[in-house]
Amino acid sequence: MTNVARPSPIAWLIAPAGLVFVLFFVLPFAVMTAMSFYSGNPVTNPNAFLTTRHYERFIFDTAGIFHEALWSTLRIGLVTTLVSLLIGYPLAHWMARMQSRLGHALVLMAVIAPMLTGIVVRTFAWMTILQDKGVINTTLMQWGLIEKPLPLMYNEFGTIVALVHIYVPFMVLTLTGVIGRIDERLEQAARSLGAGRLRAFVEVTLPLSLPGILAGSLLVFALSISAYVTPSLMGGTDVLTLPMLIAQQVGTSFNPNFAGALGVILLLVSLAIVVAYNRILARLAGGQGMA
Amino acid sequence: MISRRKALRSGVGLAALASMGAPSILHAQTKTLKITTWGGKWGEVMKATVLPAFEKEFKCTVSADQAFPFLPKLQVSPKNDPIYDVLHTNSNEQWNAVVEGLVMNKITAKEVPNVADVYPYAVSDKIVGVTIFTSAIGLGYRTDKGLAKPTSWKALADPKLAGARGGYLIPVNSLGQAHLMMLGKVYGKGLTDLDAAYKALEALKPIKLVDFTGQMEKMLLSAEVSMGVIHDSGVYRYEGANMQPVDFASPSEGVLALEQVLNVTPGSKVKELAFAYIDYMLRPDVQKLLAEAVWYSPANKKVKLEAKYDAKLLTTPEKVATLIQPDWKWYNARREDIDARVTKILKG
Repeated sequence: MTNVARPSPIAWLIAPAGLVFVLFFVLPFAVMTAMSFYSGNPVTNPNAFLTTRHYERFIFDTAGIFHEALWSTLRIGLVTTLVSLLIGYPLAHWMARMQSRLGHALVLMAVIAPMLTGIVVRTFAWMTILQDKGVINTTLMQWGLIEKPLPLMYNEFGTIVALVHIYVPFMVLTLTGVIGRIDERLEQAARSLGAGRLRAFVEVTLPLSLPGILAGSLLVFALSISAYVTPSLMGGTDVLTLPMLIAQQVGTSFNPNFAGALGVILLLVSLAIVVAYNRILARLAGGQGMA
Repeated sequence: MISRRKALRSGVGLAALASMGAPSILHAQTKTLKITTWGGKWGEVMKATVLPAFEKEFKCTVSADQAFPFLPKLQVSPKNDPIYDVLHTNSNEQWNAVVEGLVMNKITAKEVPNVADVYPYAVSDKIVGVTIFTSAIGLGYRTDKGLAKPTSWKALADPKLAGARGGYLIPVNSLGQAHLMMLGKVYGKGLTDLDAAYKALEALKPIKLVDFTGQMEKMLLSAEVSMGVIHDSGVYRYEGANMQPVDFASPSEGVLALEQVLNVTPGSKVKELAFAYIDYMLRPDVQKLLAEAVWYSPANKKVKLEAKYDAKLLTTPEKVATLIQPDWKWYNARREDIDARVTKILKG
């Protein structure tokens, strides 16, 4: 009798996640990519033909807005990620090293609490704070500190402020887990060998937490570059991102093919940045690829 | 002991008995009309009063989609079994839909008898389907900022309003698109004079832009802007108990029409019911109910509104004559270029 290779139990456990990934990412992405190479919807329009015109439209950018929108998307994503890391890392480090269980639980609740409110609601809250007649500008003008409103909203600044507020919890939660697993005795050993607090952190804790920095940064970057609601509400005339353009193409220009091409371009550019970021961090950590 | 055959037989019998009174079986015999409709106050009135009455009278169920945008969903559904039987949108989207063969070209009195009673604008050559209501797009303004009631579209360009005027993200909002065409008429040779419109748009900077009218209402109410492009309904609804220091002005050059258009999908399996629904929506009593709920001007000439609504809405041939209907077919054909141009103008 021949032995038939049977899938391991772990394969059965992974199967549902694999199926979800195929059904809700691979398949839709394949359809979107295929659509981006058609002039129309080949299912409902028999005259639709294969074309590269949507990609040419983006590459040659005769309209003069698409390259700027891509750069604006990446710039907002990078700045949001950096600021979230700068705010999130100290908080995550503090949480990970906290001895009090109650204190840890309270800080964790404080970090998670904003996530219990919808993004639209949080963005509207920021609008009431940052707009020209908002809390900050009205207060400053009433106190006579400024004569006209500060430009806190309808620009990239306001967009990034709101995005950072929304995505910092993702950074903190990712980093807390990684920093919490770093053996504190390593840092103590470094200090007992004469390293100062800062040097021990820079040479021991920080390199060991690079996987967390990578994971948190990628998560926040991915969420920021795909954000639609917040840039739309906070950005005014100054902000035009690729997700906004994609929504325009689908929702009001009724051109899903060009929207598909923009989606593919955004994914490819983002993947290139992620690979480069991974390699830079791996080099800094002195190892190979980290993700 | 019960045999397997006996058990099966009794099971089938019980199932048959149960199905006699089962609502799901009865439901399957009832026709379902799939429509699109707005949310907000309009949606509340539709769901509470208008649709239940229609379902009762026509012995059907109505499935109403309020999740905008509707056209992309219709685009991907099979033409011979569309996701909607009746498409309710503003006029420009109907023009996009008709180009792709997703809706009928015209609705006449032959299919919908009440079409015989509508104002000419409701079935004009600028309309695909039939208009059931219209709003007037003009200027909303704060009455507590010392501003004179604007009499011209040019009032929006007053330098005093720098940073305190409101408009729309033109690529995504039909009020913004209509306003752009109006700038061509006011500052140039007509609605299609895009060069004049672009120049006038540039002169409106700095301007606060939003992507839907609800946001413009909020900006006016919070005094974030002192004057903005808006439809009359978006201002008049704050009268009475909701009184706010805002008012609506109809510029002397004319107001732009923001039509609520109904149309039938050619592949609908319940076309007769779809026509009956449009006819029902054009009935004077239904028109009056909705018009007074949301301050829309009814398309049916026979509708008699209460005095306070009648005074402000477009309910006479003379008032209706002030409506300007944009040529959306012309606009949509140039849309890509216009979107790119206005985005560049307004950015920064």
